[in-house]
Amino acid sequence: MKNQNFDQQKEYKYGFTTDIENVKAPKGLSEDTIKFISKVKKEPKWMLEWRLKAYERLKVSKEPNWQKPKFSKIDYQDLYYYSAPKSMKDKPKSLDEIDPKLIETYNKLGIPLNEQKKLSGVAVDAVFDSVSVATTYKEELTKKGIIFCPISEAIQKHPDLVKKYLGSVIPVTDHYFATLNSAVFTDGSFVYIPPNTKCPMELSTYFRINASETGQFERTLIIADKGSYVSYLEGCTAPMRDENQLHAANVELIALDDAEIKYSTVQNWYPGDSNGVGGIYNFVTKRGVCRGKNSKISWTQVETGSAITWKYPSCILQGDNSVGEFYSIAITNNHQKADTGTKMIHLGKNTRSKIISKGISAGKADNTYRGLVDIHRKATNSRNYTQCDSLLMGNKCGAHTVPYIKNKNSSSTIEHEATTSKINEDQLFYCNQRGLNQEEAVSLIVNGFCKDVLQQLPMEFAVEAQKLVGISLEGSVG
Amino acid sequence: MINKIIDRFEIKRLKTLTKSEETYRKNCLDIFNRLGLPSKRDEDWKFSDVNEIFSKNFNKFNFESVKSKNQNVEFIKDLEHNYILVSNGEVVSSDFKYEDKDKINLTQFKNEDFSKKNENNSLIYLNHALSEKGYSLNINKDYKFKKVLVIYNYFSSELNENFLNIRNKIKLSKNSELHIINFIIVSSSKKFFSNTYEETVLEESAVLKNIYLQDNVNDGYFHKFARYKLSKRSNYSSHIFPSGPKFNKFDLEYDLSGDESECKIIAATFLDQNDHQEIKTKVNHLAPNCKSYQKVKKVVSGESKGVYQGKIYVKDIAQKTDAYQLSKAILLSENSEFDSKPELEIYADDVKCSHGSSSGSIDEESIYYLMSRGLNKIESTKLLVEGFLSESIDTIKSTAIKKFLQTKLTSQIK
Amino acid sequence: MLEIKNLTASINEKQILNGLNIRIKPGELHAIMGPNGSGKSTLANVLSGKNGYKTSGELKYKGKDLNDISIDERAQQGIFLAFQYPTEIPGVKTNNFLRTSLNKIRKARGEKEVDALSFLKIIKEKSNELGMDEKMLSRQLNVGFSGGEKKKNEILQMKILNPNLVILDETDSGLDIDALKIVANGVNTSRDKTNSFLVITHYQRLLNFIRPDFVHVLSKGKIIKSGDMKLAEQLEKTGYTGII
Repeated sequence: MKNQNFDQQKEYKYGFTTDIENVKAPKGLSEDTIKFISKVKKEPKWMLEWRLKAYERLKVSKEPNWQKPKFSKIDYQDLYYYSAPKSMKDKPKSLDEIDPKLIETYNKLGIPLNEQKKLSGVAVDAVFDSVSVATTYKEELTKKGIIFCPISEAIQKHPDLVKKYLGSVIPVTDHYFATLNSAVFTDGSFVYIPPNTKCPMELSTYFRINASETGQFERTLIIADKGSYVSYLEGCTAPMRDENQLHAANVELIALDDAEIKYSTVQNWYPGDSNGVGGIYNFVTKRGVCRGKNSKISWTQVETGSAITWKYPSCILQGDNSVGEFYSIAITNNHQKADTGTKMIHLGKNTRSKIISKGISAGKADNTYRGLVDIHRKATNSRNYTQCDSLLMGNKCGAHTVPYIKNKNSSSTIEHEATTSKINEDQLFYCNQRGLNQEEAVSLIVNGFCKDVLQQLPMEFAVEAQKLVGISLEGSVG
Repeated sequence: MINKIIDRFEIKRLKTLTKSEETYRKNCLDIFNRLGLPSKRDEDWKFSDVNEIFSKNFNKFNFESVKSKNQNVEFIKDLEHNYILVSNGEVVSSDFKYEDKDKINLTQFKNEDFSKKNENNSLIYLNHALSEKGYSLNINKDYKFKKVLVIYNYFSSELNENFLNIRNKIKLSKNSELHIINFIIVSSSKKFFSNTYEETVLEESAVLKNIYLQDNVNDGYFHKFARYKLSKRSNYSSHIFPSGPKFNKFDLEYDLSGDESECKIIAATFLDQNDHQEIKTKVNHLAPNCKSYQKVKKVVSGESKGVYQGKIYVKDIAQKTDAYQLSKAILLSENSEFDSKPELEIYADDVKCSHGSSSGSIDEESIYYLMSRGLNKIESTKLLVEGFLSESIDTIKSTAIKKFLQTKLTSQIK
Repeated sequence: MLEIKNLTASINEKQILNGLNIRIKPGELHAIMGPNGSGKSTLANVLSGKNGYKTSGELKYKGKDLNDISIDERAQQGIFLAFQYPTEIPGVKTNNFLRTSLNKIRKARGEKEVDALSFLKIIKEKSNELGMDEKMLSRQLNVGFSGGEKKKNEILQMKILNPNLVILDETDSGLDIDALKIVANGVNTSRDKTNSFLVITHYQRLLNFIRPDFVHVLSKGKIIKSGDMKLAEQLEKTGYTGII
C-alpha cells in the first residue's frame, strides 16, 4: 500500500486505510467482469442483460473531452470493478455479524452503525467499496411503507420499481461514464417513498472507498411518489493514495405529482496531496426529473474533495408548476480542479428554477461553473434566476464561469448574474482587529460568502460543512 | 448543394501572387477544407450553425469578385463627414476634405500587414486563402481627425450567391484619434455572403470610436471577424446597431495588451422576421489596470434569433482589472429566441469582474400604464422598445451623430 | 499603557506620520484632534497593526514592543479599534462573529470561553446599558446598517470585548445627537482606572460629553500642541488655522 505524505497531509483526517481482506472481481473491464458482478449480487437475468447492453454501447462510445480539467488517461483494464470485504460475502443478517473492523471504520468516520450509538433522526446506508455494509432504522421506515435499502437488494426484492425507473432519467446511452456505470455499477441506495408520505427522518448514504486500484461505481435511485417528501444526504471519503481512483456514480431522482426531493451532498473525497499527486476522479452523473405537476427537486452540494470533480446535478422540469433548485459550493485548493454546475431544462408551464453557485479557488487550483438554462417554447411563464460568485485567493488559481442561457419563450424570464473577486482586505483587517487570526478570518468570511448555500443543508450536515469549508482552505492565504 | 470543399483553382484565379503568398494561401485553404464550415459542433458556433444555415439557403458559392457598374449610394446628409466608398469590398473613392491629407494613408491591403495567428474559426482561414479586396488605413502620429469618417460599405445589385472575402487593416499611430461610422448599404436583392477579416492596431494613447450601422432589410449574410490590439493608455469604443440582414455574426476580439488601456462595446439591435444575429466578444485582459465594458441589448420579434456570446479573460498579471458585461433581451413574439453565453475566465485575484444576462417579455405593467394614457398596444410596445434601445445612444457625445443614429434606430423598429 | 516615541509611518512612499510622541497612562483619556489629512486615521491603523505601512520609532504597549506583533494578537492583548468605516461582511451574523471574537480574546487572557447562552446574557445586559436594540445583533455584520447603527455596533463590541486600550477613529462623525450620546455613554460607562482611551476626532462635539484628560493637536503627522479641554474649546472658536 502506498501511503506516503501522511504526515504533511494532516488536514485530511479521513485518509486512513482499513486493513481488511477483500473479494475482488478479476482485473479489467470485460463481459466476464460484468457477469461476475451480476452473479455475486445474485441478480435476475434481466439485470445482467441490461448491463451487457450498456457494455455493448460502451464499446463504441468515447470519453467526453469538452470539460476544462484534463485528466491523465485512465487504463480501464487496470482497474478492479468489484471489491468487497470477504466477510460481506454471505450477507450478515444483523449488525453483530458484521466484521468489527468495518464497524470501527465507520465509527472513525463519525458514522456509528450500532443500535445504541446510531445517529438520531438520520437513517444511514453505509457503502464500503462495492457493497452496502449496513442500513440503519430499516424497520421504522418499513412501517411507513418507505423502502430504503441497497440497490442490489432492491433489484431482488422490488424488481418492478427498479425496472420501471432505472435508466429512465439517465439513459444508458447518455455519455461515456454514465454508460460505464450502467454496465458495472455495484452498490448504492434505493429509496421509494409511497404516496402522501413524509419521510420522518433524513436518509443518508455514506460512501467509502477503501481498496486500492478500485473504481467505485455507485448507483442511486430515488422515487418520490405522489405527494411525498424526502430529504436525502450523501457523504464520501477515501484513503490517501498517490494513485488516482475513479468514482463514477449515476444518481437518478424521480418526483411525481406534488412530491419533493431534497438531495444534499458533502463531498470530501481525498483531494490529492499539495503537489497534485493522487486523489479521486469524481465523475458523477446526477439528474432528477420533476415528472409530476407541482413537484420539486432541490440539489445542494458542498464539494471540497477530489482531485477532479466533474458533475452537473440537473433538473428536468417536465410537470407544470414544477421547481428545480441547485445550491453549490465548490472549493478547490492546491492542484484540485472542479468543473461543476447544473442544467435546468424547462419543459412544463410555470416552471421555476434557481441556481446559486459559490466557487472558491486557492493555490494552483482551477474552478469552473458550467451551467445550462434552457426554456423551451412551450414552457410559458417560466422563470430562472442564477447567481454565480467566484472568489480567488492568489494569482496562481483560476475561476471560470460558462453559462449557456437559452430562452425560446417570450413569456418566460431568465436572470443571470455573476461576479469574480478576491477576498476583501478590509474584511480581513476588521476580523484580525477583533482577535481572529488569518485562517480563522478567511474561514469566517468564506463561510459568510457561502451562507446562501450552507443554510440549505440539513442541520446535521451544516455544522460539519462549515468546518470543512475552513479546513479546505488552510494554508491558502499567506 | 453548396460547394463545401473549395478547389485550389480559386487561388490560382487570383492574379499577381508571389510564390510564398500562394503557398500560404493554399495551406490556409487546406485547413478550411479540413475543418469545413462552422457548425454547432464548434463551441464558438453553438448558437449559429452556419453549415446548416448555408446549406439551407444557398445553391452554390461563387468566389469571383464582382465589379459594380455604378454605386447607387445616398450619402448621409446633415452630417459633415469624410468618406471612403467601398463597393463589394473594394475602395472606389474617398474624400478627406476636412482633414490634413498628408497625415492619412489609404491603400489596398497588403497581406504582409496581417498577423498569422492560429485560429479556431475556419472562415478566417478561408478569408486568408481567398481575400482579394480590402483597404489599409494608416493615421499618422498625433493626428486627430476633425470630422467623422464614414465608410460606406456598398454591396451592389450584381451580387448573386457571391462569396466575398474582404480584409481591412486600420492603424492608429501614437496619440492619434479617429471616429468612424461603418455604414452598410445593400442594393442586391439576391443572396450573398460577405466574410470580412479586420485588424486594428491602436498605438499608445490612440483613440478610436467606431459605429456600425446597416441601412435596410436585405438578403445578405455577413460574418465579420475583427481583432483589436490596444497599446498603453489607448482607448477604443464601439457602438453596434445593425439590423436587417438575414444572417449577421460579429466576432470581435480585443487584446488589452498595454497598461491602462480601455475598451467599451455597446450594442442595440432590433431583429425581425427570421433574422439571425450573433454578437460575440472576447476581451483579453493581458496587462494591469485595464478596463472593459460591454453592454448588449437586443429585441427579438417575428421568428428571429438573437445571440450574445461574451467572454472576459483575465491573465494572471492583469491585476486591478475592471471588467463589466451586461446583456439584456426582450422577446416580443412566440417564435423568437435569445441565447447567451456570458463567460468569465480569470487568473488574477485583485480584479473586479462581473457579468449579468437577462431575457424576458416586455414589462406588462409599463404597457398597461401607457395604454391607460391612451396609446394602443402596438404604439406602447414601440415606445418601450425604442426607450430600451435608445439608451445605448446616450453615451455618444456628438449631437449631430446622435441625432442621425436616433432616426436610423427608430426606423428599424417595426 | 501606551508609549509612542518618534513614530513615523509611510504608505506607498508617502510619509504621513513624522515623529509622533505620546504617552498614555492607565485610566487616562486622550483626544487627538486635527484637520483632514493630518494623519489621524493612519495613527489608528498603525496602532492596530494594519498591513501596508512602513514604520519606525518606538511603539510600546503595556511595556512591550508592539512592532512585530500581528493585528489579531494585538487585539487579543486588549487593543480595540472602533473603525471610522466599519466593514460589511455578508453572510456572517453579528452575534456569531462577536462570540468568536470574545472567545479568542478570553482564551488569550486565560479565561474560559463563554457558551451561547451566557453570551446571550452578556449581549442583553450590554445593549440595555447602552439603550440599544439587541435585535441588531442577529443581522449580518454591518450589512445594510445605517452609518449610525454601524458606529453604535462598534461601541457595543467595545463594551462586550472589554479592552484595555480603546482607539475611537472618528466614531462621532456623521452621528445625530442621540447616537452621539449613546457613543459617549458607552465610553463613560467603560472608563476605569485600568483602561485607556485614545479618541480621534475632528470636532469638539464629542469631547463635551466625555471630558478628556488631555487634548493634542495633530498636524502634518506631528503633535504640535497639547493641553486640556480648554485647547479643544479654543480650536472650536478659532478653527485649526488659528493654531497651525
